[in-house]
Amino acid sequence: MITRFLTDVRVKFNPFSKRAKPARLFLSLIPPNARVDGMKIETKMLPRTSKEPATLDVKFKDGKEMKLELEKMRITEVMEEVDRHSRVLARKEELTGN
Amino acid sequence: MPPRIRLQPRVLRLRTAHTSNIPLGATYASLATATTPAPSVDQIRAVPPVLRYPPTQPPSHKPPEVRKTQLHRTYQSVLKSSPLILLFQHNNVKAVEWMSLRRELATALQKVDAERAKNGQSGLIADQIKFQVITTSIFASALRVVEFFKPEGSAVDHAQEATDPRTPTSAQTSNEVEDEVFQHGLSRRAWEVASNKKLKSELEPLFAGPLALVTFPAVSPQHLKTVLSILAPVKGRFDAPKRRTTPSYYEPEVQLGLQKLMLLGARVEGKVFDTEGTHWVGGIEGGIDGLRAQLVHMLQGVSGSLTGALEGASRSLYFTVEGRRMDMEEKEKGDAPAE
Repeated sequence: MITRFLTDVRVKFNPFSKRAKPARLFLSLIPPNARVDGMKIETKMLPRTSKEPATLDVKFKDGKEMKLELEKMRITEVMEEVDRHSRVLARKEELTGN
Repeated sequence: MPPRIRLQPRVLRLRTAHTSNIPLGATYASLATATTPAPSVDQIRAVPPVLRYPPTQPPSHKPPEVRKTQLHRTYQSVLKSSPLILLFQHNNVKAVEWMSLRRELATALQKVDAERAKNGQSGLIADQIKFQVITTSIFASALRVVEFFKPEGSAVDHAQEATDPRTPTSAQTSNEVEDEVFQHGLSRRAWEVASNKKLKSELEPLFAGPLALVTFPAVSPQHLKTVLSILAPVKGRFDAPKRRTTPSYYEPEVQLGLQKLMLLGARVEGKVFDTEGTHWVGGIEGGIDGLRAQLVHMLQGVSGSLTGALEGASRSLYFTVEGRRMDMEEKEKGDAPAE
């Protein structure tokens, strides 16, 4: 997963729900130095009884915000969604020669 | 040419028990033909059962020399020996960060133990509280074995030495993995029970992604509170140590590591708690003694109110009867002058 262009990640999930798996795996995909390099990561753990769906909010460097409902998604689909915009940004960066 | 002596190693073999049975005449080496003595009565008896494995290593379903199998066995023993387990998710925590986190945890727990020792309390378990990374899927499988495989009936008594000739022939031994007498956690039977998909354990949804465990050898809320205040501090309830008292806690390695740890839940004596429940367990004042004191207090309150209630009924009856008597007396007084 391309995480270079993420500036802000907010995850909310109930660990005791089966649908929390992609949310937790997404967190484990973030590289160890991400926080030092300025990515903001907020995780909110819901209580066990809550039925709220797991959500993932991502902000990119160009200001685009992405809200994903993780209820029906697999981790590969989440990665695809996030990478789609990241690749656009990577391409732009390459073209401007930075 | 000297006469060739035919030596038969079978005849020359040292036989301590049967030397008396063999007639002396038969010992002439030159005459010794193939006269094997008939087996005596105590030789004919049935062969005692022989175990083909060491008593401490009964046959396992999966190949026992593989790391996975040994991890499975280790996790089973961890689950059986620790009544209190905290589950954390760790997201790419570096080795340096692990090291500093463990160091902070150990020093904080040592302080708790020192305090307990000073107060004369028992239960100094600081050295045995371990913070370890686990292989999630193997741990999940081990948990299923521990939760669902409850062997009953007689197992193989490994204490009896099967190679000892005194062992009765009727002794129950087996060398086959398929046999149901094996009831250890790695047996075929355990595997069959644990692979039943219909049985669901409560912790199952937690087993995804990278996990780490904090295992306690006893349920001690005081130690739990310390662990929570170090690894998952909450303002107000489980305060992180002050910068003045423990500056090492505020080193960047520790803080970075902490940001990547998430407390998911706990398993307390077989029951599953979420974060809130874990905080509740950690918040029990004074541990088990504190709980006992609370219970005694509550029971005293109950008995007090019970006597009150019982007294109350009789008292109110008394008041009613008394009131009625006064009433009637007054009536009588009222009636008397009219006559």
